[in-house]
Amino acid sequence: MTTLRLEKIARDFSDGRQMRRVLLPTDLKLALGELTVLSGPSGSGKTTLLSIMGLVLRPSEGRMFLDTLEVTTLSDERAASVRLKKYGFVFQQPMLIEGLSVMENVLLAYGVQGGRLRADLRPKAEGILRTLGLDGTASMQPRLLSGGMKQRASIARALIKDPAILLCDEPTSALDAESGQAVMSILKRIALEEGRVVVVVSHDARVFPYADRLLKIENGAVVSDTRETYTAGRESP
Amino acid sequence: MRSLTAFRMVVHDRSSTAGALLGVVAIVFLVGQQLSILFGLLNYMSVLVDHSGADAWIMSANLRNVDAGNLVSTRYLDRVIGLGEVEWAEPVLIGNGLFRTRDGSFESVRVVGTRRPRMAGGPWQFARADEGALLDLEAVTVDRLDLAKLGNPQLDQVTEIGDRQVRVGAVTEGVRAFQGTLVFASLDKVSEIARTPPGRYSAILVRFTANADPAATLARLRALLPECSVFSSQELSRLTRSYYVVNTGIGGSFGFSTVIAVLIGGVVISLTMYTSVLSRSRDFAVMRAIGGRRRDIAVVVISEALIIAGIGLFAGFLMLATLLNATGGSSIPSYFPAQVPPILAGGTLIVSLLGSLIALRVALKAEPASVFH
Repeated sequence: MTTLRLEKIARDFSDGRQMRRVLLPTDLKLALGELTVLSGPSGSGKTTLLSIMGLVLRPSEGRMFLDTLEVTTLSDERAASVRLKKYGFVFQQPMLIEGLSVMENVLLAYGVQGGRLRADLRPKAEGILRTLGLDGTASMQPRLLSGGMKQRASIARALIKDPAILLCDEPTSALDAESGQAVMSILKRIALEEGRVVVVVSHDARVFPYADRLLKIENGAVVSDTRETYTAGRESP
Repeated sequence: MRSLTAFRMVVHDRSSTAGALLGVVAIVFLVGQQLSILFGLLNYMSVLVDHSGADAWIMSANLRNVDAGNLVSTRYLDRVIGLGEVEWAEPVLIGNGLFRTRDGSFESVRVVGTRRPRMAGGPWQFARADEGALLDLEAVTVDRLDLAKLGNPQLDQVTEIGDRQVRVGAVTEGVRAFQGTLVFASLDKVSEIARTPPGRYSAILVRFTANADPAATLARLRALLPECSVFSSQELSRLTRSYYVVNTGIGGSFGFSTVIAVLIGGVVISLTMYTSVLSRSRDFAVMRAIGGRRRDIAVVVISEALIIAGIGLFAGFLMLATLLNATGGSSIPSYFPAQVPPILAGGTLIVSLLGSLIALRVALKAEPASVFH
């Protein structure tokens, strides 16, 4: 069972003249099967926290563990390999690579470090795309998809590796209400049914009802940590 | 997947791909064209030596190139002809004269006299008639590519060179020299035209027997004729080419234009790949975020450079081959030795990779954290 544990994680940024602490020392433990929403106003430190959780930003202080492995001290190369094996990312913008088809974008998440792709990956990717309502889009170029479809394709890219941890940065902010709900329903299902750690950064209140756990961050500090009473068997909102 | 990604990026980013391709094609085509003319001229410089069929040339002492020798005496011919390692030795006389054209004007020509019946050092390729025509004392050859310059003389037409009557006996094909229009004639006729003293030649050509050791025979000839220059044909060819390349400024001129072509191509490749990668920075950051290492990004960028270089090399060589075919039978000197294309391709590949270094640097700077706004 994969857990992500943060111990006194803090981050400073320099504006060129002085250091500014954007994330105060934070303790956090995230477990499988939960959709956690990080919420807070702009500049509160939620994206910084997400970036540190995703091993794309090093903390200035503190330690972070993925199960028993301390990941804060990993080299860039090793951190990349951990991201490849354990993490899935959904960004605010879908960030699909133009020129690659939808299928190739999905498979890239698996083959970004090179090597021959397993024969079963293509059927698996087709299955994920079908599940996300993207049947028939595999060979299409991303520019031909709507915003909602692109975001679902980016979720497919995150899921192809069966990541233990799925980190999503404002995944609904660029979408209309209907597409946003669809995406959140998918993320909720992934957390509950597939038993993954799902963390969603959002300041959109419409996302909160999907949260099993809601963390509010203000001025770099977690100011509230509330758990919803949904259970795995209960339908999402 | 990384190579496929690179290929897809190359295909998708058409404008920048076209720009980088232009750079590669410019290098291959411009440098290739420059080199073909340079090698064509180099061939012209030593054409008499290269097609002489001789193993050694005996010329006057302190020689700097095949065209700048003093006359040597026939007694040297007598000295070497009886050596066991010598299959044959033949004199060659080279002089200058004015060829009278049909309209009465004159054209400067370089006359080469060879001794009948072997005619060693004589013409080697014919468009009309053959070397048998030179058995006639009056006969001379003219080259097809020089016909217009010489007033389009016809076969058997009688004219003058250096106030001496000659008859056009044959038309050669591609027998031309760097130093001027080549006209072949008998040894006696050239002696008349150039007004050289009897028993004096420009060079003595020597052919070794099949079982002779070339190095040892050359050494023996040098020991036997200390007052002469004795060269193997390869040595004399190299000496002549080096002389003209250095002293006429051809080497510097071609070298400069080649460097400029490489620089222009390299800059075009560098700028277009830089622009392309800059516009893809976000994609490289995404690749880093989803698990790509810096070396994976490097593989994609270098693969892009290699794909563009590969396509550019193909297009460039195709254009170059078309040009060389089109100019093959013309008066433009062009020659492309077989070893040049691989060297040119390798050099272009290296310039393409160097051109992609700045782009690579930009790509490697893509931070995975930047994908989170």
